[in-house]
Amino acid sequence: MKPSLVRGSAFARRLLHAGMLRSASLLVPAEQRAEWFREWRGELWHVRHACTTAGKDSWRGEREVTAFCLGAFQDALCLRRAGRQPWAPFAAMDGTPRQCMLILSCALAASYAIALLLPGVRAERSLWPRKVNPNLVLIQQEGSSDNSRPTIAPGVFRSWEGRRQKYFDGFAFYRLDREAVSAETIAGRTAAKFEWGVARASSNLFTLLGLPVEFADPSAAPGGMTAVILSEKVWKRDFAADEHIAGVELRLGQRMVRIAGVAPDGSLSLPGRVDIWELVPDADAGSGAAGYLVAHLTAAGKAEMWTQCVHITANGPNDSEEDFLGVSLEEWKPPTMTVYLFSLMLALLALPAITSVSMGEYSVNPRRTTWPGRLYRWSFLSAKIALLLPVIYFISMDLAYGCTTFGRERAVYIQLVSTFGMCLFGLRWVLKDQRQRCPVCVCRVAHPAQVGQASRTFLDWNGTEMMCMGGHTLLHVPSLPTSWFGAQRWLYLDTSWSFLFAGSTRPIP
Amino acid sequence: MARDAKPPDTKLSHTTAMILQALDGGFVYGFSIMEMTGLPSGTVYPAMRRLERDELIRSQWEKRSIADAEQRPPRKYYRLTAAGKVTLEASRRRYPLLERLIPTEEAKSV
Repeated sequence: MKPSLVRGSAFARRLLHAGMLRSASLLVPAEQRAEWFREWRGELWHVRHACTTAGKDSWRGEREVTAFCLGAFQDALCLRRAGRQPWAPFAAMDGTPRQCMLILSCALAASYAIALLLPGVRAERSLWPRKVNPNLVLIQQEGSSDNSRPTIAPGVFRSWEGRRQKYFDGFAFYRLDREAVSAETIAGRTAAKFEWGVARASSNLFTLLGLPVEFADPSAAPGGMTAVILSEKVWKRDFAADEHIAGVELRLGQRMVRIAGVAPDGSLSLPGRVDIWELVPDADAGSGAAGYLVAHLTAAGKAEMWTQCVHITANGPNDSEEDFLGVSLEEWKPPTMTVYLFSLMLALLALPAITSVSMGEYSVNPRRTTWPGRLYRWSFLSAKIALLLPVIYFISMDLAYGCTTFGRERAVYIQLVSTFGMCLFGLRWVLKDQRQRCPVCVCRVAHPAQVGQASRTFLDWNGTEMMCMGGHTLLHVPSLPTSWFGAQRWLYLDTSWSFLFAGSTRPIP
Repeated sequence: MARDAKPPDTKLSHTTAMILQALDGGFVYGFSIMEMTGLPSGTVYPAMRRLERDELIRSQWEKRSIADAEQRPPRKYYRLTAAGKVTLEASRRRYPLLERLIPTEEAKSV
């Protein structure tokens, strides 16, 4: 290699090491930074001098220097943590089971509060108790690929409704028009004009859908006005979610109508962008442009529905045979709880692949600890899982349904994936946290110290040593499990060790 | 007994005891302790910060003139306090192999 290249390479390595130290120094509190950097830079000079002298393997030496510089980050973090003064009540709780329970409870409260605030999640939860009647089908002309387009002529509705049917025992029809609507008597608002999608439906539509909507007799209302139902979207967008909307009168075309209520978004599961529903006599509904036909299946009809769709051949209004397609209104969408439980089951199956499910000596060393102590440990583990699982459920709901633009089908996949990921890594954390808690006081062990080097594993022990701040135990975790040291081990410290922990013992639960 | 000779409120693991023993054995700066104990820098320096915080050891910068004469940067030396010596003595009773692992300066000079 050319001398210039060697010099350049050495310069680059020095620059890298100096950069590592400078980066680590940013973690150190400002008042200690200068001295800290001075000490590490001085030590680096000596380390480089010792590791990269002539005769030594250059590559190995550089690796040692880099490993030395990486340790600077741990030292900087240690100083940063020491410099931070935690709030006194929390400082006393550091590493205790109470701290863990408090954090998980706060996470649960926060995720639940967000779920309550997000409109998408609220809407999904409001739909929980409601199920679309599985006997309902939307009938379209055969060959129509888009079910949002109206294809049924009003004559078909009138013709079928008047005949005795084997497969259907009820029909409802609605058609969509764009109309100008003006609200003239809303308290505190000036007259406003809107362009809405008005659905004129046969009077039995809501009954057929199984919705408990009852209209007062229009003739009994003041001025014989027709009652209409607003969509939730319009109610929020154009009426600012006015709680006193019921009874407000609107001018719909040339007629006056009265608002009877609001239909929650997604509750009707019908195609078409409907802003307002107006129930009209069947004779009025079954006239005009093409619309949508909803039919209720008899037992015989249901037996013919093998899939979501069924082909229908029937006589049209002119007694000529026509082909139709019946599509079930029941959307295939598993309940959110089912998705959650399925993901949880998958995560439980995958868990042993990413972490050991063993609790170490927790279950095999009963003589070291008392019965109440063991009961406390296992209760704490159960409480952690019991708090974590609802946190994951609410966060997955927030992610899946928080953004309403995703669509419900995509939301199912988002919930599935996010629940799986959070359950997998959440349960891994629960087990890892439990393994690093002192079996005596159930507090987290601290001050991890790496002992030995990987290259010396076959000669000596290589791993991490941690200690219980209460002075009950030392924990040894092997970095590379060997036949003589395969799993972590607890070293129980008796009273003769207390001089090393003067005044710092924690009570045993 | 001097104020700092009282055993302090400290948490001393085997690793930390090794560092105290190394300091007592005359390995008085971070890199020499690393070389003696085989511990990595990410363990030795944080442990020394904690020992210094607990007043078991004390640090002091080398005189600039000495470092300049040897054409190298000055280094920070550490030494045991009286409290550190008391704690180390107690640790030796707990870890009898400690002294054999890293002999003290007096033992080496015999």
